[in-house]
This record gives sequence, structure tokens and C-alpha cells, in this order.
Amino acid sequence: MPEKIKLMDWIREHLFNVVPMSIAVIDRDFNLVYANKPFEEKFGKWKGKKCFSVYKSSTTMCLNCKGAEAFQDGKPRVNEEIGFDKSGKLTKYIKHTMPVVDSDGSIPFLVEMATDITEASIIKKEYQLLFDQVPCSILVIDRNFRIVRTNKKIRETFGDLTGKYCYSSLKGFNDKCLECTARDTFSDGEMHTGNHVWRTKDGEDIHSHVSTVPLFKEDGTFDMVMEMAVDITHTLELEDELKIAYSFMETMIATAIDGIIAIDIEGDIIIFNKAARDIFNIHDKRKMTKIELEVLLPEGFMAQVLLGPGHVYLPEAYVKTIDDDKKPVRLSGNKIEFGDGKSGMAFSIQDLRELKRLESEKLEAERMAAVGQTVAGLAHGVKNLITGLEGGMYMMNSGMKKGDVDRIQKGLEMLDRNILRVSTFVKEFLNFSKGRKIKVGECEPGKIARDVVELYASQAGKFSVELICETDDNIMPALMDGEGIHECLTNLVGNAIDACRMSDNQGGNHVWVKTHEKDDVIVYEVVDDGCGMDYEVKKKVFTNFFTTKGLGGTGIGLLTTKKIVQEHGGKIELQSEEGKGTTFRIRLPRNRLPKPESIDI
Amino acid sequence: MTKKIMIIDDEPDIRTYLMAILEDNGFSVCTVLDNTEVKKGVLSEKPDLIILDIMMPQRSGISIYKELRTCSALNAIPVALISGMMPEKDFIEKEFPALVDDKSVSPPDGYIEKPVQVEKLVALVTQLVEERG
Repeated sequence: MPEKIKLMDWIREHLFNVVPMSIAVIDRDFNLVYANKPFEEKFGKWKGKKCFSVYKSSTTMCLNCKGAEAFQDGKPRVNEEIGFDKSGKLTKYIKHTMPVVDSDGSIPFLVEMATDITEASIIKKEYQLLFDQVPCSILVIDRNFRIVRTNKKIRETFGDLTGKYCYSSLKGFNDKCLECTARDTFSDGEMHTGNHVWRTKDGEDIHSHVSTVPLFKEDGTFDMVMEMAVDITHTLELEDELKIAYSFMETMIATAIDGIIAIDIEGDIIIFNKAARDIFNIHDKRKMTKIELEVLLPEGFMAQVLLGPGHVYLPEAYVKTIDDDKKPVRLSGNKIEFGDGKSGMAFSIQDLRELKRLESEKLEAERMAAVGQTVAGLAHGVKNLITGLEGGMYMMNSGMKKGDVDRIQKGLEMLDRNILRVSTFVKEFLNFSKGRKIKVGECEPGKIARDVVELYASQAGKFSVELICETDDNIMPALMDGEGIHECLTNLVGNAIDACRMSDNQGGNHVWVKTHEKDDVIVYEVVDDGCGMDYEVKKKVFTNFFTTKGLGGTGIGLLTTKKIVQEHGGKIELQSEEGKGTTFRIRLPRNRLPKPESIDI
Repeated sequence: MTKKIMIIDDEPDIRTYLMAILEDNGFSVCTVLDNTEVKKGVLSEKPDLIILDIMMPQRSGISIYKELRTCSALNAIPVALISGMMPEKDFIEKEFPALVDDKSVSPPDGYIEKPVQVEKLVALVTQLVEERG
């Protein structure tokens, strides 16, 4: 007997009071007659209290009291309950109710065992929230492809699908899909992915990227598969747009008039369009390497693009073709940075042959026009000479008839003068018409001006004209036809001195020769404060054989000057005011100056 | 009464030539040497006709012509322009309107093309002077 008491004590102390659940015994009047330590710790004092007052802080019996039912039918039951713990906090627990059946079949007591599930239900709620709120559609299907559960996203997009077959509710099919990722997962227990088009409850088709995973149970088996789907409609649209943009760009590159070449970070040529192939004479199938291309481009060009500031532009350069020919091109190279110091390159190449041909045709047309003008001007010049000669003849003849020796003498002088004019005119005309090759070499722009001033110094002095040279010594040497520019300045300075001689103004006896450079344009100015020109003269100045100098000029000087300036890619401008003076300005942009090879004029 | 013809041309040889022809045909002649003083010269000489060269230094014949035509004291005097630039027809139809560029300035009464044909010159001068009465 003492043994038995000892065992009971042990059971109470080491089992009953230690198990992690609340255990209580109630009698038929729902009085708590016994409870273990965990019960007291959870629900508080119980002795002499009714079960409902302890479990639920209630003064009356619960509706649908499971204890009452168990007293009635003697069957144990399990129930999920909500009550309050000793501090009044809501608590969730699962209660096992077991009737204690006496030998006579009566049921004097119930043993109730409660397990707290408050924590578990919070976690469950969190998972539910997660399940519903993730930004993708989730559904759970069973082996018959019936939808068991759906999340909020699915319900919003497709309506309530629970209990329906996935293939009919999502796709409107009568039977299972031919390709089914869920079936694959059911057969091998692995995750599978695939793309499907699903129809929403609004009848809109959306593209879904679907992953199916088995929902394993504790024992490692599974009966359900969870399908997670992301709407990729927008992504596909973007992909389509990208494809269109790409094919648009590809077409542009393929049909571009200029050659386009691109090299990626690996140094592979990824674009080499038709125009580029035509420039280098490379047939369509031949694959090019970066090293091969580097040889065809101007020496050092590729290195300059890679190592320099990233953009190199050559308005005029030569490339080699694959068959070792040379072609004039306009070339632009760009470095394309991809981060991490990695970079690719892109080249744009314009074939300049057509342009060059047009340029030379234009030059030729201009030359022909000049010849036409020259012939017209020649006739005019000749008419003047003939008039002078005829005048001489008239004076001679009429003088002889009249026996007027003075008149005969005058006539002879006129003939002499005009014969001299004829020979000067013919010489200058021949000089102009035969043309000359411009001889391009490195010249010091300031020095040419100083030379011309020196040349005219004595002549200017003779006419009391002050000749002043103002040159900027910082002008860098340039490629020009030094003799040609010298001739231009000679003509202009000669004219300016004449203008001063013809002037009536006080102090109208200065000629300035100025040179400076601004924005890569070399500028020469010949300025005088002489007689100036009126409107009609200004309009005629650059036309052929226009002269205001009477016997003194042939009208060829300014025409020649204009021609030389044009050959240098420059312009000549005129500002003049009657009685105030004249400024001739020659502007030579450096980038238009002639190239060292001589050009036929 | 002898008619007086004024010749304005900067080239002495042409001037001498024209003056000789006209004198030989019974006209009296005069000239203005300073182009800037044309108005003064015309007012004092009161010629019956002016023969004016178009191309001259300093001041072109066209600017002198405009002045003669726009001055009320002078615009009754007939003016014949002389030039080697082109035939009469081209000059009156194209060159003159382009040079003058002012529709209010009336075209010249006559045009003499260089080289000068003596008979033609004398006929024109005679006609212009007689027209004037």
C-alpha cells in the first residue's frame, strides 16, 4: 500500500504536474474538482469554481457545452476553444474531453486536457496573410486537378475557383492540358516551371509564368501541388517592343548609307553593315576580326578611340580596302563604356568618293563659267581698246585732211598709248586664262603680309601714302599657296594706294595691311581711307574686266584675287563708303584650306 | 546757233576722240574733268546734250546720271550713255534697270556703243539736239 501511495505521488509530482498541458477534472455540476500545475499557471485559481468561470471568465454555462454532451453520451471529443487566461488575455486551446466511466456505467467526472494553440494560430494567420498578399497568384490542386485553395490574387483575377478543375476554370478546356507542369510535379515530386495563357474573369488573356511544387506532408508523401504564377504579360509586351526596336535598329543599320561597325567588349565585331562592306570591298560572307579592321583604318585610329577622350572625328581621311586600294572617307570613332573599365567601339564611315567627284565637277563647272565670263569680258576689254585705236586713227586721218599737224601728233600719241594697252591687256589676260596649279606649302600667314608691305613701301612713299603693317605674330603656320596669297595682297594693296591717290579727302593717305586669326579663321584686311566706292561700283567690283582706272587698269586684278581666295576655300568681302575709304577682307577657314596635293585649276 | 555737247568721260583718249568728231560736224563741245563737280559744270555750261560714260573711277556714270535726272534744273537736258559693255538693246532692257535699280529714274535718251561708229554717233546727236528744238 505505501508503495502504491508512493507511485501516486510520483505520478502527480513528476508526470501530472509536469506535462506541458492543462489537465482538469470536473464533476457533473461542472465544478472543478482537480487540476494540475500547468492548468493553475494558465487559468489561475480553480478550487471551488465552475469550469466556465475559469476557462471563459463567464458566469453562465457555455452554449453547446461539449462537457455536457460527453456526460450525455460518454464519448471523448476534441474541440477548439477560445477562452481567457488568468490575466484576462484571449487564449486559444484545443481541449480533449474524456469521460470517466464508472463500473456501473455512470459518468461522474470528465477529464479535460487543454493544449494552448494561441501561438500556432498566430503563425497560421501570418501564413494565410502571406499566402493571400504575395504579388503572385497561388493555388493548390489535388491529384484530380481540382482546385482546393486559392489566394486573394487568384480570387481577384479569376473569381472563386475552389472546387473547379484548373484546366477548365483557367483555360476553358474540357480536358487536361497537353503540357502540364502540375502533372510533372505529381509524377516526380520535383518543381517544374512553364508558361501558360490564362483567361481572367473579365475575359482578358494574361501570360503567366507558373512554378509547381509538391506540398509534402510529414511522412514525405504528398497529395497536393501548389502552383505559383507570375503575370508576365507586361514583360512579354516589353520584350515584343524591344524586339521591334531591335529589328528597326537592325534595318536602319543594314540599310544605312554610311558604314557602321561595332566591336563588343570581347573585341568581336558584332556589326559590320552593307555600306561598310562596300567601302572596304569585303564580300558579305567574310568574317572580319578586330585586328584585320585595325589595319584598314588609318594608323593608330583605333588606339586613339580607345585611349583618348572617347570620340575621334576625322573629316577627311583615307582607309585601305581589303584588296589594298585607298578610299577617301569621313571617319568617326566612339568608345562605348560598359563600366568596370570595359569598353567597346563604334565606327561610322562615310564614303567621300561621290562627294569628291561632285566637288571636282563643281570646280570644273565654275572654271567653265569663268571661261564664259572671260570671253564676254574679253570682248568688252577689246572694244575699249579698239575705241582708243580708232580715236587715234580718226585724229590722224582728220588731221591729215585738215593739214593740222597738232591733231596728227595727238593721233599718233593715242595710237602709241593704246597699242601699249593692247599688249599689257593681252599679257594679263593670258596670265589669267592659262591658270596655274596652286602650290601648297607651309606658310607663315603674317610673313606674306609683311613681304607685300615691304614690296610696296617705296611706291607708297612716292605718292605720300603711309603704308602700315599690323600682323598678329601668334598665327600658326598654315598650308597655303603662299605665292597666290601674295598676289592677292599685292592686288589689294595696289588698289588701295590708287584709291588714296584718287582721293580728295584730307588725310586720305593711309593703307593698313592687317592679319589676325579668330576661331580658326585666318583673316587678312587691306584698309584704306582713300576715295571709296559708290553703290554701282561696289556691285561691279568682282565682275570680269571691270575697271574704274581708265587707261591704268585692265580689271583683272580683283578677279584674280577672288579666284585665288576661292581656291583656298575662303571668301573675300568688301566694305566701302564713297569718300571715306574701302576695306577688303579675306577670310580663310583653316579646315577648308587646300590639301598638300596640287589641284588642277 | 551752234549746239553745245558736253562729254563726260574719264579716259582722255576717248574724250579727245569724241570731241574731235563732234567739232568736225559743227557742234561745240565742253567737258567736266572733276566728276564730283558735274552739277556745277552743267549749270554753268548749259549744254544741249550730255554724253556720259558709265564706268569711271571714284564716281560711276550711273550715279552722275541719277543726279542729272533727279535735279529739276537739269532733267530737261537729254543724256546719251556710252559704254562698251553691250549692244544697245541689252543695255536698255537689262543692264540699265539692273544698274539703276530705281524705276522712277527714266531711261537715257540715247545709247552709244563702243567702238564708236562715227556716222551713227553724229546722226544720234543731231537727232537728240533737234528733238529738243
